Amino acid sequence: MPCIEIKNLNFTYSKKTPYEKRALKDINLTVDEGEFIGLVGATGSGKSTLIQHLNGLIKVQDKKQSSVAVNGMSATDKKTLKKLRFEVGLVFQYPEYQLFGDTVAKDVAFGPKNMKLEADEVDRRVRRALEVVGLEYDKFAERSPFDLSGGEKRRVAIAGVIAMQPRVLVLDEPVAGLDPVGRSEILALIKKLQKEISPTVITVSHNMDDMAAMADRIIALKDGEIVADGSPKRVFCNRRLIAEAGLDLPAATRITDTLKARGIDLPSDIVTMDELARELEKLRKRGLLKAERSAESDYFGKAQQDDLSELSGEDDDV
Amino acid sequence: MFKDVACRQYYPSSTPVHRLDARVKLLLTLLFVISIFFIKTYFGFMLTLAVLLIVILLARLPIMSVLKSVRGILFIVVFTAVINLFFIKEGEVLVHSGIIMITKTGVHTTVKMVLRLVLLISGASLLSLTTTPVELADGLESLMAPLKLIKVPVRDIAMIMSIALRFIPTLFEETNKIISAQKARGASFDTGSIFARAKALLPVLIPLFVNSFRRADELAFAMDARCYNATDKRTKMKKAKLGIGDLIAFLFIAGYTTVILLDRYYFRTVGIDIDLMIFGDLL
Amino acid sequence: MSLIELKGVSYSYPVKEGYNVKALRNVSLAIDKGEFVALAGMNGSGKSTLAKLLNGLYIPTDGEVLIDGLSTEDDANTFEIRKKAGMVFQNPDNQMVATIIEDDIAFGPENIGIEREDIIRRVDKALEAVGMSEFRRRTASKLSGGQKQRVAIAGVLAMEPQILILDESTSMLDPNGRKEIMDIALKLNKQGITVINITHNMEEAAIASRVIVLRKGRIAMDGTPKEVFASGQLEACGLTLPPVTQLSRALMDVGFEFDGVVTSEQELVEGICRVLK
Repeated sequence: MPCIEIKNLNFTYSKKTPYEKRALKDINLTVDEGEFIGLVGATGSGKSTLIQHLNGLIKVQDKKQSSVAVNGMSATDKKTLKKLRFEVGLVFQYPEYQLFGDTVAKDVAFGPKNMKLEADEVDRRVRRALEVVGLEYDKFAERSPFDLSGGEKRRVAIAGVIAMQPRVLVLDEPVAGLDPVGRSEILALIKKLQKEISPTVITVSHNMDDMAAMADRIIALKDGEIVADGSPKRVFCNRRLIAEAGLDLPAATRITDTLKARGIDLPSDIVTMDELARELEKLRKRGLLKAERSAESDYFGKAQQDDLSELSGEDDDV
Repeated sequence: MFKDVACRQYYPSSTPVHRLDARVKLLLTLLFVISIFFIKTYFGFMLTLAVLLIVILLARLPIMSVLKSVRGILFIVVFTAVINLFFIKEGEVLVHSGIIMITKTGVHTTVKMVLRLVLLISGASLLSLTTTPVELADGLESLMAPLKLIKVPVRDIAMIMSIALRFIPTLFEETNKIISAQKARGASFDTGSIFARAKALLPVLIPLFVNSFRRADELAFAMDARCYNATDKRTKMKKAKLGIGDLIAFLFIAGYTTVILLDRYYFRTVGIDIDLMIFGDLL
Repeated sequence: MSLIELKGVSYSYPVKEGYNVKALRNVSLAIDKGEFVALAGMNGSGKSTLAKLLNGLYIPTDGEVLIDGLSTEDDANTFEIRKKAGMVFQNPDNQMVATIIEDDIAFGPENIGIEREDIIRRVDKALEAVGMSEFRRRTASKLSGGQKQRVAIAGVLAMEPQILILDESTSMLDPNGRKEIMDIALKLNKQGITVINITHNMEEAAIASRVIVLRKGRIAMDGTPKEVFASGQLEACGLTLPPVTQLSRALMDVGFEFDGVVTSEQELVEGICRVLK
């Protein structure tokens, strides 16, 4: 059974006023459990509106035509709407600006408490959440969240959401404003969260390189419609589509295009720097094979033999 | 409502009324409001209504925008009207049924009171409908200038007002974001007793306060970096200049006030009763 | 005499009772007119503190900061210094003072008592320099992050500064916004304004002519981007090489050769083509 099912979802802001804006147009989407989705799109394309439907923050406007369901819980049914809040954990952009507790533990406990859990279950969840985000309980639990560093605050905010143990985790620009160290820590944390807490993850991001590297599937929105839905390779391959959607290509894809324009024979579906490095390495070795054997050392001689067997079965272009 | 006052209540246009100097509009509105309290006769109210309609026409404002502000005080008006109507015991009795007694004086007083309130609010709303918040703040700053002589920090007060206005949309957006974030963790703001609801607001108010302090700190640095308070001789890019329109407006309202005062203190003493002339025995 | 001089500057501030944090330790450096300097470091390295020492928002606890010969310690110099060294901050929203854009840009000149006609001329010029002339009368709150920062830069330009300090001005922007701001910074630098870009983004550092890296309050490296990237110490300073540089390193391991340190896509492509063709 699919984890998330959205059918014919439409949404218009400020209906019947001069400010009316159609934010979502006929969205149909199915997500299976275990997928890591990268949701991309220009500002105003509807990403924010879409993700807020998943946890019921925004109510489905036309209940007869549209439906949103997560793990069987329907957003159009009042009884299950409340549960959606806890089934889908939504981490907003700059979540550290929403901290309010006297202590870290109290802030993280907010979610579980709202779930009306027993006190010891709340405590257990708080401990687990802090542990998963890498904040030692004894060191951080009793401190005021306002005394922490920016990176630590963000982790407390994330802990506050995963303490609800949602089966779907949605993160809006999780690494916005972080320095390189902070970025890699949070990106690694997200992967960890997928393994340990929420099997299904949806990340909204402007950074195509991150998305190409982390996501199994890219969904691109433009003006409220899904214009692309597929693996990073398939989506980013379609240069025209990406350009029309007002998005950037991953750097690796862009560099590949520049090289191809200069006559270098590379596959068109390169989306990460690692891939690009590998392909260029292959090309170099092929080039070495064609070169005269004058200055080649034994090291390369052996490598050539290995590569020959590799080269025989590969495709040039997809 | 507050956001409306600061942002949406301004009806953008470029009419003679919009273009009047904000200081003039502020003073004339004040004069208008004061005048209303001197009105005793229906003639006075009708004159006021005529003045209002003329201004609304000149400003090309849709009547709805003016009535919206009346809607805001509707409850108070109705409440006070009811009190007046049923509790004034003087004058000729019109209806008497059990404890309910309505007198002629009661009716007149109530009607006049309602008219006073409605016309007052409408008149005041004309000010905010035709003047941007910035123009109002600048106008107030200019009018307060004489206070500098008694060491009132006029410029700082004006700056505070202008900054507050500028941040209203930002704070509004931020509040919504915080509410959404807390709702995403299961917070509920519309269930439970008054006490419970107040408590539920803490997860919104605390971050809002903390962020506001941080914001103020950052803004202070930014203002210092751009030399705020560098000199007492601060200049202004936008200079409001008085024009013919301002003179006409002044004469118009001054004329209105004069008639109101005459009607209140003079006409009766020389035997002129305009209400009697118009309505005869109806009253 | 350099335009900006720091002589043995230290800065500490109290965090708890009796406990001070030393944000900067004995930093000395000189920046000449026309340079485009990237001041890089991870959070906590002292770079933001250093930025605020440059225009007198902070006064050093030790040592001296001289801007065009004027010491920041002398109160009499404060506003002169701030006229010469304009600063754009990190949060686009928290530096705007007025609702309407042209009013906000006029704020600086108004503060220093510029004549009305001159203010209007400066506002016009500043808006043009950042490409926001058509937004003159609009409300600031409806702009994108990149546009807001452009307005902030215009607000600084209206004071006709010699130095433009960008204090992490791109860290809250999306990639497009970042590009907008860096393009303007480069353009202004070409027109003679000394630019200091405080950042932790090494792709931005790559376009500067000089990179100063701070680590734990001290200068760890000071050189051209190529020199700094080649030093191998960036990671120790909590920074990462730009993706193109990293790629060039990976390629060098498998036999590719490049003409020096790769800091741009262009250099990367040239190097690859040279080897493969």
